[in-house]
Formats: sequence, C-alpha cells, structure tokens
Amino acid sequence: MSDSSFKDANNRLDSAVRGVIERAQANRSMLRMVLVFVAAFALFAFLNPRVFLGSLNLQNIMVASPEIGVIAIAMMLSMLTGGIDLSLVSIANLSAITMSTMFTAMVTGSGEFNEAMAVPVLLVGILVGVGCGLLNGVLIGIVGITPILATLGTMQILNGVAIVWTGGSTLYGAPATFTTFGKLAIGPVPMLFAVFIVAAILIAFLVNSTTLGRKIELQGANPVAARFSGIRSKAVLIGSYAVGGALGGLAGFLFLARNPTASADYGASYVLLVIVIAVLGGTNPNGGFASVAGVVIATLTLQVVSSGFTAMRLSSYQYAIAQGVILVAVMVIDAINWRKFRNKRPAPMAATGK
Amino acid sequence: MDIRKTLRKLQGRNNEGTLLLVLLAIVIGMSLLNPVFFTANTAFAVLRSATVPMILALSVLLVIISGGIDVSFPVVAIASAYTTVTILLATGTDVPMVVVFAIAAAIGAILGLVNGFVIAKFRLPTLIVTLGTQGVFFGAMLTYVGAKYFPELPPTMAALSTVNILDFTTAHGRANLHVLVLLAIVATLLVWAVLKWTMFGRSLYAIGDDYEGAHRAGFRVVRTQILTYVLVGVIASMAGVAHITMSRAANPQDLVGGELDIIAAVVLGGASIFGGRGSVGGTVLGVLLIQVINNSLLLVGVPSAWLRAAVGILLIVGVGIQAVSARRKAQRVHSVEDVMDLTVAQRKEA
Repeated sequence: MSDSSFKDANNRLDSAVRGVIERAQANRSMLRMVLVFVAAFALFAFLNPRVFLGSLNLQNIMVASPEIGVIAIAMMLSMLTGGIDLSLVSIANLSAITMSTMFTAMVTGSGEFNEAMAVPVLLVGILVGVGCGLLNGVLIGIVGITPILATLGTMQILNGVAIVWTGGSTLYGAPATFTTFGKLAIGPVPMLFAVFIVAAILIAFLVNSTTLGRKIELQGANPVAARFSGIRSKAVLIGSYAVGGALGGLAGFLFLARNPTASADYGASYVLLVIVIAVLGGTNPNGGFASVAGVVIATLTLQVVSSGFTAMRLSSYQYAIAQGVILVAVMVIDAINWRKFRNKRPAPMAATGK
Repeated sequence: MDIRKTLRKLQGRNNEGTLLLVLLAIVIGMSLLNPVFFTANTAFAVLRSATVPMILALSVLLVIISGGIDVSFPVVAIASAYTTVTILLATGTDVPMVVVFAIAAAIGAILGLVNGFVIAKFRLPTLIVTLGTQGVFFGAMLTYVGAKYFPELPPTMAALSTVNILDFTTAHGRANLHVLVLLAIVATLLVWAVLKWTMFGRSLYAIGDDYEGAHRAGFRVVRTQILTYVLVGVIASMAGVAHITMSRAANPQDLVGGELDIIAAVVLGGASIFGGRGSVGGTVLGVLLIQVINNSLLLVGVPSAWLRAAVGILLIVGVGIQAVSARRKAQRVHSVEDVMDLTVAQRKEA
C-alpha cells in the first residue's frame, strides 16, 4: 500500500518534472534567461554575500524593477504585433505629470478628500495612457504609418507637450495614498512589485487565453495571412497599442508612487533599455512570438546585475558595458544555434531590424 | 500631361520637392513676420547649428539606405572625438588638425568595424545590435578613457574653434560663418558622390532594397555591410570632432541621447526606414528644415520647448502622407482587371 502510493507519487513527480522540462525546451529563450538569472544571482551572492543578499538590496531590486518591467511588457506587446513602441516612456511621463498636476489643482486641507481622490486620479492617469495608445494605434492601424516612425513621432509630440506643460521643471506633489502605497509591502514583497506581477499575469492571460491575444500573435507572425483569415488588423493593432498605452499610464503611477515627483525627461534611458529587456526575454522583434514570463525574468536579471554591480562597487558605466555585452552575446549565441539546427540554411532575413 | 510630368519630376523621387517647398514657405513666411529673420546673421546661425546634425545625418542616411537602423552613432561620434582629445591632452602633444581628424577617424572606424562585423557576420537585427554596442562603447569610454569635462582643448583645436570664413557686422550685429560648416559641405558632397557614382553606393541601395536579391545578383553583401558601418564610424567621428571644436570644450556626455532626433530628420528627408531609398538632397533639406523651425520658433517667441512637438507633428504628417499615398498606389493594382483598367485609363489620358 505505502509502496504503491510512493510509486504513484514518484510517477507524478516524474511527469511533472518532465512537463516542466518540455515546456522549458519549447521555450528555449525562456530557459536561457532563467539560467542567466540564476547564474547572475549566484555570482553576486558568492562575490559579496553580505551586501548582495542583504534584505535592503533584495527589497531594492523588487522596488526598482516594476516601472521598467511594466514598460518592457508594453514594449513586448507592440513587438508581438511586429511593431515597436518608442513612445512608452513619454506616455508614462505624461500620465505622471497629469496625475501630479490634477492632484495639486484639487488638493485641499482635508486629508480624507485627498485620500478619496487617489483612485480617480489614478484612473485619469491610466486613461491618458490609453488615449496616447489609441493615437499610436490609429496612426499605425488606420493611417498605415510604420510603427517605429509613428511612435518616434508621438514620442516627440508627447515629450514636447510634457516639456511645455511643466516648463522643463520637476513637479512635486502626488496623493499621499500613492506614496504610502509605494512603501507598503506584503511580507517581504513590496506592493509595487505585486502590481508588476499582477500586470504581468493579466497580460499573459490576454496574450495566451483570449481571442485578442491570439489575433495579436497572428498579426505579428504574418500580417498578410492574418488579413486573409478575416482578422481585422486595424482593430487588433489599435487594441494592442491601447493596452500598451494603459501599461504606460500604469508605469506613470509607479513613477509617482516610488518618488512623488514628475518631470518630462524622467527615465530617458528607459526607451532603449526596455527594447533590450523585451528582446532578452525572448520576444521576436519581427513579431509573432513573445513570452511575458521571459520579459519579467529579463527585467529581474538586468536589475540583479545592476544591483550586483553596485554591491561590487562597480560604476554604472561598467553596468552599461555589461548590459550591452549580455545583449550582443545572447543574440550572437542565438544566431549561431540557428544555423547549426537548420542545416546551414540562411537565417531568416533579419537585417531590416525594425 | 506634360505639366504633370514636370510636376512629378520637381517633386523628386523622395519628395524632396515638397520638402523644399515647405522650407521655402517657412522662410518666406518668417521673413514677412519678422524682418530680422531674413538676414545673414540668421542664415549663418542656422548653418552653424546644422553642421554637426548634418554630418551625423549623413552617417544615418547610409545605414538607413542599407536597410538598417543605427542608434550607436552619437556614442561613436563623441567616444572617438573625446578619446582623441584625452590622448592629446594627456601626452601634451599638439598636432595639426588633419592628424586630430585622422586619429578620431581611426577610432571611429574601429568602433564601426565592431558594429559591422557583428551585424553582417551573424545577420542580426541592426537596431538591437547597435543598442548593445552603444552601451558597451559608452560605458567603455567613461570607464577606461575618463568621464572628466575638459574646458580647455588642445591648442590647434582651440585655435580652429574661433576661425570663421566670413565675419562681418550687419545692422543686426556680428555675423560669422564658422569654418567647420565647410566640413559639413565637403562631407555632404563626398557622400553624394559615393552614393551616385561608386559601386559601393549602388550595392548599398541594392542591399537595402532586397538583401537576398542583392546577394544572388552577386553583390558582396557581407563586405558592403561591414564597410558601411566602418564608414558610419568615420563620418560620425568627424561630427564628434566638429562638435567638440565648436563647443570649445570636451564633454563625454554630449550628443548621446539625440540619436532619435537625427533619425527623425533623415526620415523626414524621404529616406525609407525599410531601406533602398533615400537621398543626400532630402537629408540636407530634412536637417535644415528642423534647424530653421527651431530658429523660427525662437524668433516668433514660441518657447523652444515646442520644438520637439513640432518635429514630431512634422514627422507624423510627412510620413503619414507618404503612407496614405503608397497605399492608394498599392490598392490600384489588385487583379488583372485592375491592371487592364489602369492601362485603359492611361491610354485615355495619353
């Protein structure tokens, strides 16, 4: 009896492990990123365990990654359609500025009123993001402008509007609820990180389990086939950029919750960084394939390397080198494997680079 | 029919004509609004501020024609020039300007070679590779060369920074044309000649238009791609030296972050982001247009903060019109009947 139950449990464990391995193999880039993550974590934990494994450092990783991670997921979504969204950081800043201005305009002496305003302010911020995303979607889906150019344009416009609005200075003022929320934690996990994970799960659900998600995937994999399969490309593109915009608005909230200031040029380096993260997370920049879990792990990996470098007292410049080397190395390793597996057939045309 | 033909010819293959018209309209409109605008002072100021963006735009143009996107060129520009200045200041040597340019060009060529090698050998997306190398080059410069701001330049560079070709006083103050404007003009003419008359220029267009097709037609695609990025590095390093000389100080953080603005100018100039199309003339107009708008906004009293938004709107409108007209053209021919209709219509027109 006990023998058979042991055997049963063993079998179940075996199939579970095999399932995990199979799924991981199906998603090679995901496995690779997990390995890099574990390796980076182990390396820094070994080199400087006292600082790196300190709770402060681990907390910092979890507090700093959400804003980048949410934008990276939005970038992944646009790449999934075969496009790119350069305007995301500008959207996030515009939404943060809107929320900050709105709060400052409405602020009164009563603390209760201020607290009650937090949710409407957040909603307006996200709506600003959706609006900007819709603008992108219309330009790309209906007018037919190449995504990289359309979002390059809206990036400049939204950034310009933000500069004019703020006069180039930093705005102070955010609902106190935002700031307290930014400091809240469930056990060891900061609330901001929980927001990131919830957003990731929602987008993963959208991509994997809804018809819109499947349509987005098909649109990115083969736009012509998608059109002839009766997929309304315009609606799909507008929808996916609107969701991306909403994530941008959410990132604006995360900016404010972490640091109650808003400015037009916050996170300028994020524009290109999130592309790096999306690609490291296994997103095909030509569209059709992406994994939310991969993007989350890539975000954490870069954050681990960044804080590991800080723990090792290396400069942010050296971190920039590491970031570039990781990206190019991962891409090159991928390219080499491609050729071996495919009998030296030329790799698919990738030089356009989008 | 003849009028239409001439109009089409005037419009140019990459909409250069339209761009020129917009530029002229702005210049005439601004001159009527504010007479100060139509002076040598303004013209020289625009040319001066356009010098570095123009040279950088030329390097971007080459990459875009070849079907790629490079975001590492500002880092290559500042890294090669800043490294050159650091070497000269550290060793205390003073060399002629030609040597300064040569050292910077050599560094730029090496950095470009790295880009070209990785892109061409492994056939990777250019945007992603240059994103990576941008970080590597920038970090390496700040870590191993230095992150210090040099307010003093080597004597030859400092001397060159005050040289003007033209220098006179008008009713509106001193007007001077900086000598490095010549560098931009020479570089523009050289790139134009290379694209028009050399085998390299032809292969660049061929590769950008259809990589596989160019390969099968016997173009040496790998070699051309590597050479392109080496050339981009060399041209960018010229811009870097010009920038440091004209700003009379070497700041390693300069130029970086402006890559998308330059790409916007080149695209505005009619270059296709998919490769195979683009002209030096259009790029010159694109760069000048942005500089003139910048200058005009200041003169009309609009805060310069609006510049970014203005460039964005211009880009969207320009590319949007191109996209809509391209789709109309594509929609016309869908079936054999369409083609028949088209030929009939053309015959009627004739």
